[in-house]
Amino acid sequence: MLKYIFTRVLFFIPTIFAISLLTFVLMSNAPGDPVENMLTRNQGGEGGQSADKIAGEKAYDNLRKKLGLNLPMFYFSLSSKASSDTLYKIAKPDYRKTLERLSYETGNWPLVQDYYQSVRQLEFAILDLPKDSSTVTPLITLRSAISNLYLNYQDAVITHSLDNMTKVLHQQPSLQGALPALKNVTGAYANLMNHKTFWKNYIPSLFWNGTKCQYHRWLFGDAPWFSKSEDETLSSGFLRGDFGISYFAKRPVSSMIWESIWYTMLISFVAILLTYVISIPLGVYSAVNKDTPADQAISTSLFVLYSLPNFWIATLGIFFLCGGDYLNIFPPTGVADYDVSDPLFLKIGMQAYYLALPLICWTYGSFAYLSRQMRGGMLAVLRQDYIRTAQSKGLEKKKVVWKHAFRNSLLPVITIFSSVFPAMIGGSVVLEFIFTIPGMGKLGFGAVLQRDYPVILTVTMFSAILTLVGYLVSDILYAVVDPRISYSKK
Amino acid sequence: MSGNKPNKQAGQSYWATVGRQFRKKKVAVASMYIACFLALVAVLAPFLANEKPLMCKYDGSLYFPVFKQIGVDFGLGQFPKELNNVDWKDLKFDFAIWPPVPYSPLNQDAKNIHSVSPLKGQNVPSKRWYHWAGTDELGRDVLAGLIYGTKTAFTVGIVSMFISTIIGIFFGALAGFFGDENFKVSRVRLWLNLIFFFLGLFYAYGVRGYILSDALSNSLAEFMWQFVISLFVFLAIMGVANLLASLLKKIPVLSKQVSFPLDMVISRGIEILVCIPTFFLILLVLATIKKPNIYIIMVIIGLTSWTGIARYIRAELLRIRNLEYIEAAQALGYSGWRIMLRHAIPNALSPVLIAVAFGIASAILVESTLSFLGFGSGEMITWGSLLSSARATPSAWWLAIFPGFAIFITVTVFNLIGEGLTDALDPRLKQ
Repeated sequence: MLKYIFTRVLFFIPTIFAISLLTFVLMSNAPGDPVENMLTRNQGGEGGQSADKIAGEKAYDNLRKKLGLNLPMFYFSLSSKASSDTLYKIAKPDYRKTLERLSYETGNWPLVQDYYQSVRQLEFAILDLPKDSSTVTPLITLRSAISNLYLNYQDAVITHSLDNMTKVLHQQPSLQGALPALKNVTGAYANLMNHKTFWKNYIPSLFWNGTKCQYHRWLFGDAPWFSKSEDETLSSGFLRGDFGISYFAKRPVSSMIWESIWYTMLISFVAILLTYVISIPLGVYSAVNKDTPADQAISTSLFVLYSLPNFWIATLGIFFLCGGDYLNIFPPTGVADYDVSDPLFLKIGMQAYYLALPLICWTYGSFAYLSRQMRGGMLAVLRQDYIRTAQSKGLEKKKVVWKHAFRNSLLPVITIFSSVFPAMIGGSVVLEFIFTIPGMGKLGFGAVLQRDYPVILTVTMFSAILTLVGYLVSDILYAVVDPRISYSKK
Repeated sequence: MSGNKPNKQAGQSYWATVGRQFRKKKVAVASMYIACFLALVAVLAPFLANEKPLMCKYDGSLYFPVFKQIGVDFGLGQFPKELNNVDWKDLKFDFAIWPPVPYSPLNQDAKNIHSVSPLKGQNVPSKRWYHWAGTDELGRDVLAGLIYGTKTAFTVGIVSMFISTIIGIFFGALAGFFGDENFKVSRVRLWLNLIFFFLGLFYAYGVRGYILSDALSNSLAEFMWQFVISLFVFLAIMGVANLLASLLKKIPVLSKQVSFPLDMVISRGIEILVCIPTFFLILLVLATIKKPNIYIIMVIIGLTSWTGIARYIRAELLRIRNLEYIEAAQALGYSGWRIMLRHAIPNALSPVLIAVAFGIASAILVESTLSFLGFGSGEMITWGSLLSSARATPSAWWLAIFPGFAIFITVTVFNLIGEGLTDALDPRLKQ
């Protein structure tokens, strides 16, 4: 048995690996720039000098390093000869996108890089131009032209911006200082256009990044394993309980997860307990009294319950039972807010009062499903010969059902555990959203809306791990109930 | 299940037997009728609820505006200028025949905004313009929304199940029919196929990535076209691989047969996939897409729900491949692929039918949950989005009850059909 559990847990490793890889791949082409969002300060670009700009970029780079975004995505990358192996070093995602496209269009990454460097120098040159009343308008034109260069790959747009800048610089004698830099850009761009090697796009190539990549950092971390590190830009990785920093809450994801997982686990466990406690006797009763009016009534209502969408029932419940314009039986949504000093029974009572309606919505679907399975399993067992033997030797019905049939009929219900548990975790998203319970589902949902990737990644990983645990538990229960199944030897 | 082969004793084919068994279940048959009715509502949605008249005489000439609109949507013809961007209800018609619900789902009735109840307080000229299911916050007719929501729900259910059935049958059949030992290829073919698979992906989708994404930002049709071109490139490259393999097979070292453990690879893959919580996965995918729309949701549901079908097919084929008629086909010298496609899979499809019925129900449920949470519906009205608008207006019971009831009925009906099929296909019940 222990050996079996051990091999199952061993099997978790490739599964977790695959799931993390899948989520990571999905994240890798996600839109948005988290670093920009997290930096609330003024970018220093508008009126500032090049020194401000450099300070701003330094802060940007530091944060980027802290989030681990300054690394390539994966251990290796497969792309074409035209694309670059050092693209990830470009800080801003928008610029990176433009350059990537430009290197695709021209097939000549070294020259694209020269062009990018020359544009950057031009930007600094423009920042250092004298500012007075006569240069305000031309400077605005120049800055917008620069950002056009950063964000566009189309030949027409680039040529147009360059022409515009040349014109403006020539008109204003006090702005002549930036002319050499502009000449550089024009030269670099012309050079790039004259040396297109589009064919390089058709040559596949493999870039090896080694362990210095985002995936490795996220999973294993880059902080030393056995000694304390002062450098706070290092991460200790998912396996050591460091889930990164939330892009929006700006605090460690681990603290957010531990706060919220408690509610989801509490509700899921109570819900599963309730489900089994109600559905097993009900299923047995309805199977034993097959085709009686009671059985028919139970079966029909179970089927209806099974098909009722829980978010509808939840909405209706809030609508009609939680104050509002109709009845006022249950408290408004949310969770109980009690003092730490309150006595324990009061805490439990208040929490139960608040969680009663959510629990009903959580439970009824799987309870209906389970009862139906229990009924089916029981019926299948009751048809068997050994039950008939037991009955014909004069055992009382109760004993036949509970002693002889019950244990065997449990098997289908136990296998279902492995699908009920993940369903509860998944269902938590919409129910926690409706009832505003600060659990894992709501955390994940909010993170999806805000595109808070570290949180999404962590929530997905946790729900996958919980699902795996659910499978493991159902396997073990299976062995406990059915002595024919032995996992210890083949 | 011996009934897979024609049941000669009863003088009936297998499917006729199944049909007879199915018809015995009154509830299942009734559900079938309801499902057909709902499908009809979905197809006829523009004729049932529309702000334009079905037929009208305006300014001396006869129009069929609803039909015309369908033409205009497909890019055929244009409305005359005076009829562009008008409120059709304000026009003075010589005569007009209106659809049963004279509102489009996005049509805002300015006189009935702020969620007007279906029971009282409607500001309408006559019963003809009554909002039978009330209006929502913006004054949009709820009944029109429900009718168009049927269309969305059915499209989602059918398209996503189509995708998942194809994927499920493909993988399930490969795993079940070939198992671990029976997929034998020459060494060179295996390696060439693996290498060229990645090359094919590279040339068809890697190099053409920008072409595809540009096309997608232009229009869906253009994207489909470019996608098909990519598919051709991919298939051509795979073709080259197999041609090369056929040539190189002449070399004895390379021609050694090896068996590829298809069943093991696919089964392990499925085991990993089912551990991923589907709903989170869908949310995750939606989070990484800039503007998720209903089509993307359909595709995602399809891509995540095929494992059940694959398992069914695999189990069926594991049984079927040992039957005598397959052996006979092998003895006749048919290739493995031909036996699988022509003789084995058609006999394994019955459990898929059950899975599809339940799958449609759950796809509709997932979609309405997603649009309830505010994903993907965008400009479209869906049952889920209608239901979520009830949260904003706590007194509008009609917004909470009607859409939810529509979801409930549809899901129940498909579940009942699934139940009926399960019983009809169950060999234990057959005489």
